Amino acid sequence: MISVGTSSKMASNRTNAATSAASGADSEETAEQILRKKTTISPEDVLTLSKITDGYLCAPDANIYNIDFIRFKIRDLDTGIVLFEIAKPSVILDDNQTEGKVEETDLNSGRFVRYQFTPKFLKLKLVGATVEFTVGNKPVNKFRMIERHYFRNKLLKTFDFEFGFCIPHSKNTCEHIYKFPKLDPESIKEMIQNPFETKSDSFYFVEDQLIMHNKAEYAYNGGV
Amino acid sequence: MGLMTVLKKMKQKEKEMRILILGLDNAGKTTILKKYNGEPTNTIEPTLGFNIKTLDHKSYKLNVWDVGGQKSLRSYWRNYFESTDGLIWVVDSADKRRLSDCTTELHSLIEEERLAGATLLIFANKQDLPGALSSEEIKEVLQLDRIKTHHWKIIHCSAYTGENLLEGINWMVSDISARIFTLD
Repeated sequence: MISVGTSSKMASNRTNAATSAASGADSEETAEQILRKKTTISPEDVLTLSKITDGYLCAPDANIYNIDFIRFKIRDLDTGIVLFEIAKPSVILDDNQTEGKVEETDLNSGRFVRYQFTPKFLKLKLVGATVEFTVGNKPVNKFRMIERHYFRNKLLKTFDFEFGFCIPHSKNTCEHIYKFPKLDPESIKEMIQNPFETKSDSFYFVEDQLIMHNKAEYAYNGGV
Repeated sequence: MGLMTVLKKMKQKEKEMRILILGLDNAGKTTILKKYNGEPTNTIEPTLGFNIKTLDHKSYKLNVWDVGGQKSLRSYWRNYFESTDGLIWVVDSADKRRLSDCTTELHSLIEEERLAGATLLIFANKQDLPGALSSEEIKEVLQLDRIKTHHWKIIHCSAYTGENLLEGINWMVSDISARIFTLD
């Protein structure tokens, strides 16, 4: 899932947590620490990461192309029902019958978002996740997204997709239709009982250079 | 779920298939794409960029690109040709006034080197509208018989009712499969 919104409060908290956790093994550099020393980060670099990052791997102003995510939607392909939809205030929603909720979002800035879903979400089979984004006045070449989803640092799913070229001033949509990863009942239970321990990193590249890094956290205990 | 059934039929040789949908603006490209995926088609805005659908099934992938057809966007179409296995050209069969424009655009695509290997499906869309030309008539006007460089087929359809959409995509996928298979 791609975060549309946010607040970057989390980033600093997480950095502290990481420092204390790392102090036990200060001789070993993490993959993330190694990446932080690089001036540019490539798709291959982020594919080496095996857990959620503690911080962001690029600054917000790395997005020189003004790529802006304006809508995010999830639907259940088996029933056709839109389960979740958020959009920037300037965008009109297609439909109101959504079941998910967004917590702590400031849709105008930031790169962190928290999603609150119901347990039903983890039982979906075929889902369609749509993002809608606009592009600034420069043409964008080789636009690529890599998104990694984890539960307590166990990798659940990786999306890796190249949008390719984006027309200047364009508005584009992309829906990924995929089988929801099969989770065993024990993991499902754990994920419901541990809100926001399911996390994702979304990395966006233009011509193989990281230009955006968004984070999201998910809870599945809504209505429980 | 139209495209999912197409994806399930894909064979071992074609791990990934890329389909590009083009045509003049208001031809019905986005409506076709949405209809394939069971989305509502009652409020469709002009596409000012692209709409992509990607479908994953096991290790198979189907990527469909619908790029806006407005005149100002057509010069960007070339950016989407690379690695295209199938091209769907959508025609508004009721828009007689612009059929010559439609013919010119189609024939200039046919000459594109990067689309040389692609299977071509022409959808004579909007058959539900009164006054729509038949696929036979569209074939004449678009001078399809001139096309010798591509496997092509014209099918009449209605994105509005869904008529023939699956037949079209099924033909295209089996043509691509056959082609990939013989090349190996």
